[in-house]
Formats: sequence, C-alpha cells, structure tokens
Amino acid sequence: MTTEAKPVLDGRIPAGPMADKWELCQRELKLVAPTNKRKYDIIVVGTGLAGGSAAASLAELGYNVKAFCFQDSARRAHSIAAQGGINAAKNYQNDGDSVWRLFYDTIKGGDFRSREANVYRLAQLSANIIDQCVAQGVPFAREYGGVLANRTFGGVQVSRTFYARGQTGQQLLLGAYSALMRQVNLGKVKMFPRREMLDLVVVDGVARGIICRNLVNGQIETYAAHAVLLCTGGYGNAYYLSTNAKGCNVTAAWRAYKRGAMFANPCYTQIHPTCIPVTGEYQSKLTLMSESLRNDGRVWVPLKADDTRSPEQIPEAERDYYLERRYPSYGNMAPRDVASRAAKERCDAGFGVGSSKQAVYLDFTAAIQRDGESTVRAKYGNLFDMYQKITAEDPYKSPMRIYPAIHYTMGGLWVDYYLQSNVPGLFVLGEANFSDHGANRLGASALMQGLADGYFVVPNTVADHLATRKLTPVSTDHPEFRRCQEETTNRIKKLLSISGKRTVESFHRALGKILWEYCGMSRSAKGLEVAIQKIRGLRTEFWQDVRVLGASNNFNQDLEHAGRVADFLEFGEVLAQDALTRNESCGGHFREEYQTKDNDTLRDDQNFQHVAAWEYAGENAPAVRRTEPLEFTEVKPTQRSYK
Amino acid sequence: MSDTLNLTLKVWRQASPSAPGEFKTYKVYDISTHMSFLEMLDVLNEDLISKGEEPIAFDHDCREGICGSCSLMINGQAHGPDRTTTTCQLHMRRFRSGDMIVIEPWRARAFPVIRDLVVDRSAFDRIMTAGGYVSVNTGNAVDGNAVLVPKQNADKAFASATCIGCGACVAACKNASAMLFVSAKVSQFALLPQGQPERSQRVEAMVAKMDEEGFGGCTNTNECEAACPAGITVDNIARLNREYIRATLTAE
Amino acid sequence: MKRQTGGCCGLCWLWSSLSSTIGQKIVMALTGLALCGFLLVHLGGNLLLYVGEQKYNDYAHALHAQGALLLVAEIGLFAMFVIHIGLAFRTSFANAAARPIAYAMRQSKQDPGPLAQPPSGVMLATGIVVLVFLLVHLSDFKFFSVTRATGLRHQSVPADAAPFARAVGVLQDPISALVYFAGSLVLAYHVLHGFASAFQTLGLRHPKYTPLVKTLSLVFAIVVGVGFASFPFWAWTFR
Repeated sequence: MTTEAKPVLDGRIPAGPMADKWELCQRELKLVAPTNKRKYDIIVVGTGLAGGSAAASLAELGYNVKAFCFQDSARRAHSIAAQGGINAAKNYQNDGDSVWRLFYDTIKGGDFRSREANVYRLAQLSANIIDQCVAQGVPFAREYGGVLANRTFGGVQVSRTFYARGQTGQQLLLGAYSALMRQVNLGKVKMFPRREMLDLVVVDGVARGIICRNLVNGQIETYAAHAVLLCTGGYGNAYYLSTNAKGCNVTAAWRAYKRGAMFANPCYTQIHPTCIPVTGEYQSKLTLMSESLRNDGRVWVPLKADDTRSPEQIPEAERDYYLERRYPSYGNMAPRDVASRAAKERCDAGFGVGSSKQAVYLDFTAAIQRDGESTVRAKYGNLFDMYQKITAEDPYKSPMRIYPAIHYTMGGLWVDYYLQSNVPGLFVLGEANFSDHGANRLGASALMQGLADGYFVVPNTVADHLATRKLTPVSTDHPEFRRCQEETTNRIKKLLSISGKRTVESFHRALGKILWEYCGMSRSAKGLEVAIQKIRGLRTEFWQDVRVLGASNNFNQDLEHAGRVADFLEFGEVLAQDALTRNESCGGHFREEYQTKDNDTLRDDQNFQHVAAWEYAGENAPAVRRTEPLEFTEVKPTQRSYK
Repeated sequence: MSDTLNLTLKVWRQASPSAPGEFKTYKVYDISTHMSFLEMLDVLNEDLISKGEEPIAFDHDCREGICGSCSLMINGQAHGPDRTTTTCQLHMRRFRSGDMIVIEPWRARAFPVIRDLVVDRSAFDRIMTAGGYVSVNTGNAVDGNAVLVPKQNADKAFASATCIGCGACVAACKNASAMLFVSAKVSQFALLPQGQPERSQRVEAMVAKMDEEGFGGCTNTNECEAACPAGITVDNIARLNREYIRATLTAE
Repeated sequence: MKRQTGGCCGLCWLWSSLSSTIGQKIVMALTGLALCGFLLVHLGGNLLLYVGEQKYNDYAHALHAQGALLLVAEIGLFAMFVIHIGLAFRTSFANAAARPIAYAMRQSKQDPGPLAQPPSGVMLATGIVVLVFLLVHLSDFKFFSVTRATGLRHQSVPADAAPFARAVGVLQDPISALVYFAGSLVLAYHVLHGFASAFQTLGLRHPKYTPLVKTLSLVFAIVVGVGFASFPFWAWTFR
C-alpha cells in the first residue's frame, strides 16, 4: 500500500461565518417542486435512527421511498440498544450550555479530528431533534413539574443529555419507526424487511440502485432509484466481540467502497469503558453498561497488584480510584477513550479483578448510601437488572465488574458537508459515515447525529442532488444492474461451493482476535504489520476452507454470515493499514509510539490534521490513501486535558 | 453445582414455510452455566455444521434483550422460565445437567413459520402501520417544554412504550391474541398529550387491523403479562378496552 | 389518520364496533354482568323458601301476575342468554382458529397460588355445564307441566302443586338434586372468573378498585354457589 500524496478531497464546506454556514447553505440548495417530488425514487438502506428518520422525512416531502433492512422489522435496528441518552444544546438547566459549547465539547472530545462545520451544524440541529421526538410522543424522562429532565454524560461539564431511563435509543428509534410506519400507511414508503444489500449499482458515475438478497427466499433482487442513502451503521463487529448486534456488518458500506466510495478513518474505533467482561471462549457478544452509570458509580481497582480478596473485604484505604486520582476535574466522567485506556493500563499492570483479571470495579456503594437504593433503582434499574441477569451477581450489593469493549466506529464512508459520498447520488448517514465525531465520540452523541442527519440534513441535501444533476431514466434492465446481479450471484455460489472444513463463525472469531490484539485499545507499527499479514493469511484460508452449508434459494443464516465475514476480512486489512499509516495518537486511535508522559494521546497536527480516505484500486491493488485537510477556525487544537 | 451441563434438546425443524416440520433430538455436552441460551444453540450449530448438517435457524440480533428479535418456546414457556427475560438473556445456569429441553417456534396463525424456529412477525408491523404513530411531519414541532407532561403520565407512557415487539404475548396466549402488544402502543399515546388528536382513530384502526391479521381475542387469562420480557402489564389491556369503548361512544 | 364514520341505518357504527374481538367481549361482559344481576335477584326470590311456604307462594304468584311485563323480562333474559352463549361459542372457535398448530409442550409462567385466577380456558367448559344445568332447570320449572305430561320426570309431584310444594318436590328428585347441587358449584366457578373479567373487559381497572373487584368477585361466587347449592341440600335434609 502507498501513502503517496494524491489530490486532496473537498468537503464542500459552505463559505461564511461558522454560525451561519448551514443557513447560507440551505439558501443555496436547489429545491424540487412539490409536484415533481413524486417522480423521484429514493432508496434508504438501514432503518435505524438515521435510516428510519431519513426515510420518513423524505416520504413526508413527497418522494417515493423504498426502505430496506436485514432485520425482520424496521424496529429492530441496533440503534434500539443505545441506552444512556441524547445530547441537545437546550440549556434548560441554565448551567451555561449553548450551541457553541456543545460544538466545542464535541470537537475536543473528537480530539480535533472532525470537520468543524459539520459539528457546528450538528450542535445547531440538536435542539430541533428533541422537539421533534417529543412531538412524536417519545416519552422522555420528566421532572415533577412536567418539564424535560436532563443528566450528565462523559467528557462534559454541563447537564444536556435527554433520556428515557436506560432505553433512550429504543424510544427514539420507535419514534422514528412510527413516523416510518405512518408513511407506509400513506403509501409513500415501501418497506423491504429481511433484505440485505449486497451491491451498489453505479450508472454513468451516479449511484442509481442496489442489489439485495431476499433473506427469506434467497432471490437476488434489483432496485433502481434516483438516489441511494446508506444508513447501515458501523463496523464494530469486525472485532467479532463487540457491543453491536450480531447482525451488524460492514457489507453495504464495503460494497459501496468497492464501487468507488471512499472509506474514511477506519482506524477510529471506540472502545467503551463500561462493558460486562468476557467470561469464556463461547462468548458471542459483549453487553454495554451505559456510560450514565459513571454519574454515580466510582471506578476502582485494588491498590495492591494481584489482590484476590472480594471487593467488600478491601478497605477504602486500599482502593485506587484511579480515574478520580488522575483526572480530578472530570473524575469518573472522563471521555470514553481516556477511561478505557486507563482501565487497560491498570489491568495490564496487574491490578485487574475477577477471575480473568481483565476487569475493574464500578462501585455504587457511595451513591446508594447518599441517595438511597430506590433512587439508584429509579435511575438505573433496568441496567442493574441486565447486569444481574448476565452475571448472576447483585450490583446493589457488590460492585459491578466492567471492562472496555468495542462499541462504536467513528470511521465510515467519506461524505462531504452534504452527506454525499464521492460517488454522486450516494448519501451516507449516521454511524455509517465518518463525519462528526473525529477520533472519539462523546457519549449521547450518536443518537443526536443519526437523527440530525436523517430528519434535518439529508432531506435538504438530497433535493439539491435531484434538482441539479441530470438524471437519465434508469431501470433495473440496465446492463449495469444485470452485471452487478450476476456478480452477486456468483459470489454466493462460490461461498457455497468451497465446502471446506472451518465454520464461518471460527473465521470471524479468528479475525476478531487479530484485530483486538493488534488494532484494539493500543496499537503499534510492529503489531499492525503482523495483523495485516495475519488477516491476509486468514482471508486466503477463508476462500479455500470455509464450510457454508445449505442452499442459496432459501432462508440461510450461515450464508448471510459468510458474506459478511468475507467483507470483514477485506475491510480488516484496510482498518489496520489506516492505523499503521496514521503515525500519531488521537482519540480512540492510540499508537504506543506516540504518547505523552502521562500515557495520553500525542497528536501530530503538523502531519495528520487530516481525514484519511481510502479508495479502492482493484482486487489485487493496494487501496489508495487520500486526504482531506482539516481546518480549525473556531477552536484551536490543543492537547486535550480532562485533569 | 457443576459448572458444565449435558443436555438433550428436542428442537422443531422445518425446512420451509410449506414443508412439514418435525422434532429432532440433539445432545449437547459441556455447556458452561455462564452461557446464554442462544450461545448454547451457537455451540450446537457449530457442531451440526461440522457434522455436515444444516444449522438450526433462529432469530436473534442484539443479544441484550432490547431488539425483540429472539423468540423461542422453551419447555412450553415463551422466552423460557425466567420472568421479564428474553431468550438471549436467559442463562444456562437456569438448567440442570441431564435436563431435556423442548424448543419450539412461536405458534400462531398470524406468525407463520419461515424456517425452523424463525417466524414471520410482520403482522405486528402492519398493526403499527394502521395507527401506531402520531401524525406529525418533521419540522412541525414546538419546543419540547412547550407542552408539560406530568411525570407520572410520562413514566406510565414510558412503561407502556418499552414493548420490544417480540411476540411473546401472542405466543403465550392460549388464543394467540395480540392484545398486549396493541394495548401497549395505544396506552403510550393515550397517556400523552401528543397522542390526543388521533386518540379515537388510532384505537379503532389498530384493533381492526389486529383482528384482520388473524390474532385471537383476549379472555383475560393474563398469561401474556407473565410472558412479557418487557414487563408490560394487563393494565394496558384494560386501558385499550376503555379507549375502544370511548372511541365507540364518542362522536368525531 | 382518517376515521371511518357514517353508515346505512344510523347504528352501523355500533354494530361494526361490537363486531370486533374487543366488541364481542364487551357484549359478553355486559350480558354476563346482567345475568349476574339476574342471579342475585333470582337467589333473593328463592331464599323465600326458607322464610316460609306462604311467603314463597305469594312471591311466585305476584311474579306470575305481572303478565306482559314478565313476558318482556323473560324475552330480555332469554336474549341475554342467547347472546352470551352464542358469543361464547363464536369467540371460542375464533380463538382456537388463531393457533392452528398446537404446541407440543406448554407451561404457564404465572405464579401458581391459592387465589390464582381460574384459567379462562375452563370458561367454555363450565359455561357448557351451566347451559345444561339451565336447560334442566327450565324443564323442571318453566316447562314443568310439559316435562311431567310427557312422562319424563316429576310424576310424583302433583300437576297442580303450589309453587312451594312443586319446588320441594322437584328438588327431592335425586337427578335434579344432584344436577342442582353440582350445577350451582360450577356456576359459582364460572362467575368467579367471569365477574372480575367483565370489569377488565370493560376497562374498569384501577390500582385502587381492582383488588376490591377481585374480592367482590370471590364473595359473589361464594354467595351464588352456597346460595343455590343450599336448596337441594335443604330439600333433602330438612323436608
């Protein structure tokens, strides 16, 4: 692979003062007349917060929307599992919050690796999201007087997070889903559940449709449209063990990449500090405990290494509340990347707890003593229950054991300010794009971004695409559709014909282990080179020795999984390559060679203050690294400090 | 208590919606008590694949009890023996070595089997399509605090809104009735000011759709409440009945 | 959301509402509660057996002297029964059809307990028993002369016996006594679920009142069961 300089990418950021950019941009955007909207078809892949909200909003405007999801219902997208909350610069608490402060916190949280204009727009739109969701009947937590309640989240010093107990994602998604169902009823959205997108069809350089597998009967279906929106989430499952749902995958994004869309910053992965630790080889996924728990929980390990006493037996004086010790002003509310690395550092140094020694305590004793068990139960009841179900331990009595796990991926398909990828007509929203979180996402910001993209940004920018680009009529009879359909069919045939010895699952686990070991919480050039070699070897083995049973023309979950793992095996290499090329540490990307004396990230703004976007260059050619320089006019990049 | 289990599983296998199904018996060995029920099935499936037998199809996704994908009648109980627990959150420590476990798909006319343990629950989506929403376009919202909602109403609405749409209520009900599912959504909106404008239409449309989809009626057996992993109570069904009567008797 | 309104005869909206699964249950609940009311009145009247022969005969004569009013009441009562029973069969068949393939294994997840609600699955069965009981009861009293004239039963009771004597005579018939005793207990079991269930179906559920409804339901079932079952017991023991 090469790092040679290529023409830089243009994010098409509108001119003008930061606070006015979005408004000025909207002024310039071309509109589609109401009577013409019904002439346009729009494909939305994925029905999470971004996809659901986009599909509903576009249909409300009058476009014909086709919405696809691999789950059996649009309501099951993994946004549903988001727990803690959603940020909005409402300043209802009168604690000094503002659009600018949310913008600043997000930029800083992202370790100065995100695009200022996008983040500013996100902060501006955040307040509208809350209003929209309330209007849909989303039952946010309220105070006795009837007003909306707020809580605090990591990496900030104001209370701006709106929540619905520990199920905020569920409630927001069901809100978007209900808006979507309304449009289905009105005939403006046609839903295609249990469909997996397996290719993007690009005609004359413009995204014009998709190839799908009907997961029930195995038919390879083709759909044409005037614009394609990918809202397909993140790639955390490349690591096998993550907090993602089992079905989450990179396939749709990766297929788009192979058709020309660039993949930006794949090495920016977020490790969430508070997950339930791994218990055995059979483990199929990891479960997150909301970051909001750190509002009241205190993180500690024993002062003495290899302490085998139970937590109750360790007196106060022999406990190391290492986050409070290291980061006195943010304490347990340090950002995710900081808290995760600190946990790993303690465990690697031998202070870990539990049978695996790969865990730290999250202790609620102080909160229970201060506020009473019923208050703690009201705030976190469902999370405590979940912990107890999984571990058979009662967190009201003894501290939780937690360890970091892959949770979110900041990287994704490259998009400009309009959320359009470098392939015209292909828009990418939510976690699937790379745009707003830089190298680390702050808590309660993913929901905000998904909904801002879907409800408020894309309905405006898609219109501009439709109004300004000359779109010739294209049907699914077009040769390009036929070609893509055939390629998809052949790929499936190939997977089924290998008839090797190893299961898909075992390959996925093996890939996950490689990535977690060499490309997880800390990375080094040497390790990443090893990882790349190992991934290549594993990929070769996969295509020679994988065993996928059953047929292509029926419901075949193993075949679905095989296709996803095959893509992860290609994608994993680019992920490692990106990590290897980025010779600095920033946010979730921690290179051991680049750290401060306090083990914090050490950025290299001189050489790496840019987005790295990888471009596909053919089956056997190395991906090409392109860059988009990041300019900071509103905030001056500094060394992040949460001390 | 030993840390591993040996179990006999009697699993419903059905190749396609139209194929006749049958129970097949499988043995699994050395199952860790820390495994979730689905991880136990993963182990069985890996074993089946290595023997050249097609793995058992079952719906699952988030594996943390919130997406509503997983299902399964486990020894005749929806989501297994634990209350307010989905199958993915059910752990093997709940079983004893030597146990025989019968695993069946949800059974209802409205939930036809797709394959093995996977059923088609799209009838729920169609019920939601009929009226499970507030008709408000994006961009129309007033400030979130412009309409006050008493905390107790917001809390109740939230409790109803936590339905995960898994279908356990239908599976557990002797009549395969979807009343708990419908009542949860109707209740959420009936309790909130945002739901008032379409209150009557919503309940009428959703109930009509529920009937049309072929679900049974409610005979107040309360088995749905006991089976619901999200803790939705039959208070909601009473409210649904009330809303229905109210809608019937009031004029537009 | 658009609402379907209007209709042919002005009451189509009601018919359409009551045709749904919920509507049918509402009608069953209303007729069931009305029949519970009838049971209470009927029990009250019959308890006059214990007050004395004269009082009971007076009551019976007074009742039958109502003429057209009685006919209207009887038609109403008959309609209640027909609707209640008809809907019972109709909903039962519909509910059974909602699960064409039965489970191989089923277990309840509800807490078993002494005061657990009787499973509604027995409502159809107990209902059918009560229906048979009702038919026997009608043949004994409403159609006493027909039953006697056809030579089926009650030959020992004089055809012109006064109401009190006739009641005692019928209850002393061993088949009747058994049917009345068992029938009353099954009826009690039927209303135990039915009474409370009707409130739920009518949406009358509240943390404050529902426990009261449940207690009332139990008291009502005991009163109905003990009350009606006591008559054959009394007729055999004390007459």
